[in-house]
Amino acid sequence: MMCAWDKLMEIIPPRMREPVNRMGRDTMQEFRIRESFPPELVLQKSSHWLDDKCSREDIAFCLQSASRYSPWAADSLKKGYLTAPGGHRIGVCGQALYQKGQMMGIREPNSLCIRVARDFPGVGDRAPQEGSVLILGAPGWGKTTLLRDLIRQRSRTQAVAVVDERGELFPEGFDRGCRTDILQGCRKAEGVQQVLRTMGPACIAVDEITAGEDCAGLLQAVGCGVTLLATVHAASTEEFIRRPLYRSLADKGIFQWFLIMHPDKSYRAERRNAG
Amino acid sequence: MIRLLGAAMLVAGCGGFGFSLASAQRREARMLHRLISVLQEMEWELKYRMTELPELCSLAADASGGSLRSVFRELGEKLRRREVLDISACFNDILERRNLPKYVRRNLKQLGACLGRFDLEGQVQGLEAVRCQCRQDLARLQENGPQRMRNYQILALCAGAALAILFI
Repeated sequence: MMCAWDKLMEIIPPRMREPVNRMGRDTMQEFRIRESFPPELVLQKSSHWLDDKCSREDIAFCLQSASRYSPWAADSLKKGYLTAPGGHRIGVCGQALYQKGQMMGIREPNSLCIRVARDFPGVGDRAPQEGSVLILGAPGWGKTTLLRDLIRQRSRTQAVAVVDERGELFPEGFDRGCRTDILQGCRKAEGVQQVLRTMGPACIAVDEITAGEDCAGLLQAVGCGVTLLATVHAASTEEFIRRPLYRSLADKGIFQWFLIMHPDKSYRAERRNAG
Repeated sequence: MIRLLGAAMLVAGCGGFGFSLASAQRREARMLHRLISVLQEMEWELKYRMTELPELCSLAADASGGSLRSVFRELGEKLRRREVLDISACFNDILERRNLPKYVRRNLKQLGACLGRFDLEGQVQGLEAVRCQCRQDLARLQENGPQRMRNYQILALCAGAALAILFI
């Protein structure tokens, strides 16, 4: 198992580092900070609360340090999250700020959810090694971890282009495989077209399809003869097929394999020929 | 002989004071000039590369010299080590420990108050505002600058001579 734990420690307020390091180093999945409440360590099978209450300054420290004190380099805050060095994703809640109908950011953030990025090489050994694969699961069930390993495995035999909009798939220190090209911070629909035109991939991987334009981009890519690795938020194939957002993907049957995640982070493979 | 020596020391002491005043002014003007060009480079870095603040400070340190270099270098190091809770307070603390001319210190404080607080557009505007203030201060310093410096030196020498006449 690989984890950029030191990077995580750097973004946690100094006074909380010692207890978090002691209790969460091996098993912490999330670290939650809420203003005026004690910080919560979400471990594999339980939660643990630290003693001191969190202040607004603690939250500001986390965000500043995760963005390397550079708000201009943290554009994703407009979407309510930030990817910290080490690939740890920080979800942010607070007062949303709108300008001309568009969310511009979050004023006075009062809650953070820091999800610890961990890499488990070999977790995808049982997964199909050919064809397009869609990973389904609820948040926190290990979709991204499995996708990361599938990318690595595919890259042993073919060129894999990864469109990593959130910059959390292969942070510094994670093995990415020898034939993996990563386009980071680019919107998925746009990125898929770009890598298709410029990188000559045999396989394209994207994490978390969440918009209609992402689906359209993937459909176009499949028409060009590449295979796909992707993840979606859905607990089962039925749920995936039912959701209007994914109708086009389901109807066209572009994925030959569904990997359905379970809450304990295990998965089963299901073969599909068409939608 | 001793009286002559005393008179010479008085004149030299007062003259030295005048010359050091003039030299301090020249140093301040030089630093403001350097600060303006550093701020300009920071703006370009931000606009065209969206460079992150710790790296931006290191680049500013490389582009400047003397006290300015050490100020930017120390801030960059602290940011890199993620020791900073409040950039403005940290920057002020760094400035407190350095002997900087008045205008330079004031402009650096203003810079510290705007660093890392805004999005790209806001940050560039903040740098522009500091640069503009530096220009005004530099113009103020350079207004009749050579004349004023000569006056300092002459006045100090004359004051020394007057004291020598009075006391010796």
